[in-house]
Amino acid sequence: MKKYLLKCQVNGKNIEREIRPDKTLLEFIREDLGLTGTKEGCGEGECGACLDLLDGRAVNSCLMMAAQAHGKKIITIEGLRDEKNPLIDSFAKEAAVQCGFCIPGFIIKAEELLSENPEATDDEIKESLAGNLCRCTGYKNIIKAVGKVRKKCLK
Amino acid sequence: MPEVIEKFYSLKELWKKLPKLPVDRKYLAGGTDLIVGYNLGISSNECYLDISDIRELNLVRENKKQVFIGAGVKLAELGKNSLIKRWVPALYDCVPHFASSSLRNMATLGGNLANASPSADGVCALAASRAWVLLNLYGKRESKPVLSVLKGPKKNALKKDQIIEGFIVPKKRHKAVFLKLISRAKFGIGKVGICVCADIEKKFVKDINVVLSSVAPTVFEAKKTSSILKYSYLTAKIVEKASETIRTEVSPISDIRSAQDYRREMCGVLLERALRYIA
Ligand SMILES: Cc1cc2nc3c(=O)[nH]c(=O)nc-3n(C[C@H](O)[C@H](O)[C@H](O)COP(=O)(O)OP(=O)(O)OC[C@H]3O[C@@H](n4cnc5c(N)ncnc54)[C@H](O)[C@@H]3O)c2cc1C
Ligand code: FES
Ligand code: FES
Repeated sequence: MKKYLLKCQVNGKNIEREIRPDKTLLEFIREDLGLTGTKEGCGEGECGACLDLLDGRAVNSCLMMAAQAHGKKIITIEGLRDEKNPLIDSFAKEAAVQCGFCIPGFIIKAEELLSENPEATDDEIKESLAGNLCRCTGYKNIIKAVGKVRKKCLK
Repeated sequence: MPEVIEKFYSLKELWKKLPKLPVDRKYLAGGTDLIVGYNLGISSNECYLDISDIRELNLVRENKKQVFIGAGVKLAELGKNSLIKRWVPALYDCVPHFASSSLRNMATLGGNLANASPSADGVCALAASRAWVLLNLYGKRESKPVLSVLKGPKKNALKKDQIIEGFIVPKKRHKAVFLKLISRAKFGIGKVGICVCADIEKKFVKDINVVLSSVAPTVFEAKKTSSILKYSYLTAKIVEKASETIRTEVSPISDIRSAQDYRREMCGVLLERALRYIA
C-alpha cells in the first residue's frame, strides 16, 4: 500500500499527514484528526450527517476519499464552534436538537447557505436542507433556528 | 480497496504517469457513485485516479457555434452558469432535480455518463440538448453523440483509460423542460424522468427532441414520439397521439421504485405536461 502525503488546512490549521490511500475524508477527520463532530449516518450520501465545508462548499465526507482534500480548506463543526458561529446557539435556543446526531450536518449546510445567501427565505432553507435527515425533531425547529440567523433577524 | 491513489492537475500529467500505475485503476471524480460502491463493498479497485482537479475538465466555455462543458464541472456550478442558462436550458432546468445540494457540490456530468445508470438525469438533459461527448485517450480525441456511449444498465462503451473530457452542445435557441417523478424529493433516483427540448412557434413544432430516463435499459431517445410531434401543430389530437406512442416506445421494468405499468402510463402524462409547459 502506497501512503499518500496529504496536505490540507483543517479549521484554520495546516495539516500534513501520511495517510492510507483507502481512507475516506470522513474516516480521516474522525479517526486521524479525532474530530468526531462529523458523523457517519448512512455512508451512502443519503443523510447529510457527514457534511463538512470544503473550500466553502458543503460536501458529504463519506463519499470523498481523504486524498481528494489535498490542497483544500476544510471546516468541520468544531471549527464553527471555535469561532462561535451563531447557528450553534440558535439551534440550542430554538430547541432544534434532540439526540443531536444529525445536527452538525444541518449546521454545516445552513452555514454554507447563509454565507452565500444571508437573507434566505424559509423555502430556500428547506430546499438547502433537503439532503439532511433527522430522525428525532420533525424539522420545524431546525428551519426556525436557521431562520433566526438570517441577516435581517440578527440586526 | 485502493492501494494507490494519485491526483492529477492536467491531462498531460495524467497521460505521462498513467502507464506506471497499477492496471486495475479507475477514474475518481465526485465519488458519488464510485465511493458509494466502495463503502458498500460492491466495487473496489487497486488504484484510484483522482481527476477532480484536472484543469481541462473544469471549464465551461463557448465559441460562436458551441458551448463546451468540462466533464468535471460540479452540477452545482452548472446550475449557476449563465452560458448554461442561455444555451443549455435543459441542463439548467435539470440541476435542481439532481440529488441534494451537497451531492451537487460533488457530482459531475462525466461521472453521470460513465456510470451509465438508466436514471441518469444529467445524461437525459445532455441528450435532449443533442450534446456530443468529447473523449480523450493519451491525447487522441474523438467525439460522438452522448447516448452512443451507453451500452446497457451500468455498462458504457469507453475504452480502457479513455477519459470523458467534456460535452459539446450546439448553440441553437430553444426551450426546454425537465420533469422527474420521484417519491421523495432530493432522494435521487426517479421513477420516470423526461426532458423535452423544442423550437415551437405559435404552436407549430419546428424541432423537438424527447428523451427519457428510468424507463429503458439506458437513457432513451423517444424518436418515434419526436417524429410525430415534429412539423405538427400542437393540437389536442397530436398530443394524444404522441402520448400514446411514447407509452409503447418505452420498455420500463418493475422495481423497488415503481411498477412497470405505472411508469409506462406516467411517460404519457409527463409528456403532455412537458408539452403544455413548453408550448
Ligand atoms: C444520495 C444520492 C443521490 C443521487 N441522486 C441522483 C440524481 O438525482 N440524479 C442522477 O442522475 N444521479 C444521482 N446520483 C448518482 C450520482 O450522483 C451521479 O451519477 C453523478 O453524476 C456521478 O458523478 P461523480 O462525479 O460523483 O462520479 P464518480 O462517482 O466519481 O464516478 C462514477 C463513474 O464514472 C467514472 N468517471 C468519472 N468521471 C469520468 C470521466 N471524466 N471520464 C471517464 N470516466 C469517468 C468513474 O471511474 C466511475 O466509474 C445520486 C447519488 C447519490 C449517492
Ligand atoms: S453518512 Fe454521509 S450522507 Fe450519510
Ligand atoms: S436530533 Fe436526533 S437525528 Fe436529528
